[in-house]
Amino acid sequence: MNEAVKREHSTGSPALRISVAVAGWAIPGLGHLLLRQWGKALVYFLCVGGLACAGLAMRGGVFSANPSDLFDRLGFFADLGAGGFYFLSHVIQSAGPDVAHASGDYGTRMFATAGMLNLLTVLEAYEIGSGRRT
Amino acid sequence: MNILFAGLTHLEALALFSFAVSLTFAFLSKRGAVERAKYFAWAFLAFLLVAIGIGWLMYPFSR
Repeated sequence: MNEAVKREHSTGSPALRISVAVAGWAIPGLGHLLLRQWGKALVYFLCVGGLACAGLAMRGGVFSANPSDLFDRLGFFADLGAGGFYFLSHVIQSAGPDVAHASGDYGTRMFATAGMLNLLTVLEAYEIGSGRRT
Repeated sequence: MNILFAGLTHLEALALFSFAVSLTFAFLSKRGAVERAKYFAWAFLAFLLVAIGIGWLMYPFSR
């Protein structure tokens, strides 16, 4: 099998790439699960989900879709990266945020970090789906 | 869940953060169990040491 044919076989369709990226964003690790990378899927789900849940349990703040300044806007995009955890944040964090204490402030950073980590895993899933990475 | 995480000390929160980020970075950037384990250990310790070091450096300014 020559190189061109190999490349053709290893390259996923655009629908596959986009599907795994969207799935991975919505539920951390789901993109890798669809690509049959069980280990990575489990690790990413536990790490991103663990950080997001810990951040919410520590009563960290979640940035809203109506930012008042640039910092809030950046925070919103970071938080949005957590996908399903962002949309469920009000359910998980029933007591609401409390950033007056250090633990609440740490929680804010943890949730934003979970979102950023998830975006990195989404990029990886997209690249695996496109055959540029294994 | 609140009971688990709400009472974390600064060091415990730092350790949890470092653990999750280091493990994710290890799986994103390395292949093979040994390479990942080495990278995870290095990154985890670096996170802890740098944060504790910066904490000590800032201590005189806390008063």
